[in-house]
Amino acid sequence: MLSLPAKTSSKGQSRRKGAADKLSPQEAVRTLTGQSLFLVPAAFTFVFFLISFLPRVQSNDVIILSFWLATAVLALWLVVLFMRSKRAGAAKKFILAKPRPQHYLQAMVHLSVYTYWGWYWPPVQEHALLLIAQIFFAYAFDILLAWTRRENYLLGFGPFPIIFSTNLFMWFRDDWFYLQFLMIAVGFMGKEFVRWNRDGKSTHIFNPSAFTLGLFSLLLILTNSTDITWGPQIASTLSLAPGIYTYLFLAGLVVMYFFSITLVAASAATVLFGLSALYYSLTGVPYFLDSEIPTAVFLGLHLLVTDPSTSPRTPPGKLIFGILYGLGVFALYTILSSFGAPTFYDKLLCVPLLNLSVQWIDRAVQSLRDKPALERIGLGVVPSRRANLGHMAVWIVFFATMTLIGKTDGRHVGDSLPFWENACAEDRIHGCDRLLLLESTYCSDNSGWACNELGAHYAEGRIISADPDRASTYFARACELRIQAGCLNFLDPSTVSHTDPRTFDLRLLLRQGGKNLMDMPEDELYERACEHGWQFACRNTISAL
Amino acid sequence: MSYFSVIKISLKTLRVALVLASVNIACVIVLEVFTSSVLAQQADSTASISPRKSGGFLADNFYLPNDSMLGFVEVPAGTFQMGSNPLIDPMAFENERWSEARRQGAVDLPPFYISRYEVTVAQFSAFVEATGYRADPMSIQGAPDHPVSYVSWTEALAYARWLELQLKESAHTPTVIKELLQGGWRLTLPDEAQWEKAARGTDGRIYPWGNQPRKDRANYSGATTTAVGSFNCPECVYGLSDMSGNVWEWTRSPYQSLPFDPNDDRESLSEEALWVMRGGAFSDAESNARSAVRGAADPGARRPFIGFRLAISRL
Repeated sequence: MLSLPAKTSSKGQSRRKGAADKLSPQEAVRTLTGQSLFLVPAAFTFVFFLISFLPRVQSNDVIILSFWLATAVLALWLVVLFMRSKRAGAAKKFILAKPRPQHYLQAMVHLSVYTYWGWYWPPVQEHALLLIAQIFFAYAFDILLAWTRRENYLLGFGPFPIIFSTNLFMWFRDDWFYLQFLMIAVGFMGKEFVRWNRDGKSTHIFNPSAFTLGLFSLLLILTNSTDITWGPQIASTLSLAPGIYTYLFLAGLVVMYFFSITLVAASAATVLFGLSALYYSLTGVPYFLDSEIPTAVFLGLHLLVTDPSTSPRTPPGKLIFGILYGLGVFALYTILSSFGAPTFYDKLLCVPLLNLSVQWIDRAVQSLRDKPALERIGLGVVPSRRANLGHMAVWIVFFATMTLIGKTDGRHVGDSLPFWENACAEDRIHGCDRLLLLESTYCSDNSGWACNELGAHYAEGRIISADPDRASTYFARACELRIQAGCLNFLDPSTVSHTDPRTFDLRLLLRQGGKNLMDMPEDELYERACEHGWQFACRNTISAL
Repeated sequence: MSYFSVIKISLKTLRVALVLASVNIACVIVLEVFTSSVLAQQADSTASISPRKSGGFLADNFYLPNDSMLGFVEVPAGTFQMGSNPLIDPMAFENERWSEARRQGAVDLPPFYISRYEVTVAQFSAFVEATGYRADPMSIQGAPDHPVSYVSWTEALAYARWLELQLKESAHTPTVIKELLQGGWRLTLPDEAQWEKAARGTDGRIYPWGNQPRKDRANYSGATTTAVGSFNCPECVYGLSDMSGNVWEWTRSPYQSLPFDPNDDRESLSEEALWVMRGGAFSDAESNARSAVRGAADPGARRPFIGFRLAISRL
């Protein structure tokens, strides 16, 4: 039985626990009540089930089973809940609230990033259907979870930004896709169960997507199974979209304007730019491998760490929060590297810890109340829209300056493999580690030249301990990739031969994070190689003239 | 020119052609008789041994043949003519020519040992099982006594290295082989010249058994592989099996123009890698079953028609 549209009793709603507690009387526009409301999660579940018959899902048995298993869990849960509700005679409710900008605006910004990035990286397009399926799953799961705990569910756009921001950083490979549904479920459970009182209201502690991403990242690192997700590829392929920093900066301005998160994002970015520059000036090598701030971190500081519900509310609190995020990412990059873990997780692991510190930060900045000097620069404890606009103006000038000096979308010194060869030869800090890391990445990408170089390092034992078996493996791989030097080295590792990269290798070595150079004309390719410091390519370019 | 002149010239040409053809046939007959008698003598000493006749393969010795030398046959030191002479072998390909000036060249080789049979699926499977080597699953799916295929050049060498280590340490290894390996000899793939000498001997024959193609001597122009040693070949030099057909066999030589150079080809490193394979396969025509045929493949190629055999030599 559906009752439409009954005016919500604000008193009645305000006493209930959970998500509905956050609803102000102005927001709650009407409620729907009745057993027939069970048809809504049933419909979400059914559509989710139907999606499993589309070709993208049918292409992999594990994904099919993941969908069917998730459908079975949702269906069973729905039936149990329906029976229990019927027996108790207590109808469930939907509260239809005015859509919240932090949900639909964030979701639209996320969507625009997917569109722009997906235009240049096809796996995003292939993932689109699975993304839609996750939204249906999320709605069904969230409704059932809410109804299990209470009678009402606030129906809005809430699940959209959670799904979108989770997938912007990580999704599981097809053979492990059931973990994706588990990750989403954990995010919603974290939002539902891990709560505290903040300013007299019950609210979730953790940003739901950051919570589940952080938790799963930790588990993946601890179990040494980081290769079962697309995370590292996602992080490195964002830069395939031209001018991605400028694009994220512009998208970030929308979020900054509407949700006043300028201080969080800008302070985090400034700290990272500053520390990177300091590190480079001290050591002569870049801190981050191929950028001043990795694109995925830049994305994270705009769209992951800035959830208004889980970040400080006062301007000085936001400033501290952003600075701590910047420091956290910077430190985690080294910590993860030193443990041999993929550095991609740096931007994810520190967010839950920062969420936990929010109340402490808010309390700490109360001592700054009534400081006119701070209020004059918009850092007073009381937020103001005007101050936010001022901070945005400063941020725009700062970003423009960084762009003009080539610290954002320009070519980065760490992109060049010869740079790291020199850094290693000159024994600069991390020079050899980075060289090995890059060669290992390119070898995995099927550059026979890179495999031969790696093999040579392991055979010679100069920059890494000699390991004949490993050398042999790399030489064999180089050989199978038709590098003659690799074959000869495999045949007789006592005399190591080197060679210049072939045209095909250059197409891989010069990609700068994944740009497709397969169709680039050879003269342009050699010109690019020369710019990257490959001397033999400069000679080729000159002789071609 | 009158019609009579044309007819006269034509008749003269025909007569010359007939004489030449007769001489050619006579030469071929003489050569065939001569090589058959020589081969018969050689065959007596080495007698073609099928795995069954020799007691099969030893499961507890890496499925190697059950004989005193684990299936390895000695090829004595000496010179042989490498490459093809199109006057004797009209099917010769251009890449079998020794040089612009010469059709064939003499190559002097020290003694070496070569395996009588191609490496089998059972032998390669033992390696995969013992080491967990990630080989192409197709390589170990064939019948155990058939030649292994779907193996790349690097996998063939990896198998050779593993087996060398096992034979050095195994208590079942015959003393002669153990002494050879401990004395610095290596178990590896034969080089191109070793392979060719082992196939055709020193008398310049076209096929391992003589100068005429014989379907009863090797598995070529067929549909699939056969068990190693299935074809009786009493005329075959050194008593080796399947040196023609069954599967192409990887060698340790990079593909380059003849003359043969035993040294590594470290001058042309910028070239894409190609490695020589020899002997033709079950699906090839008789022209590829000749001993001098030179095939080449990408070292990463894993094909149903490429396998290998091993050699023990001093490198």
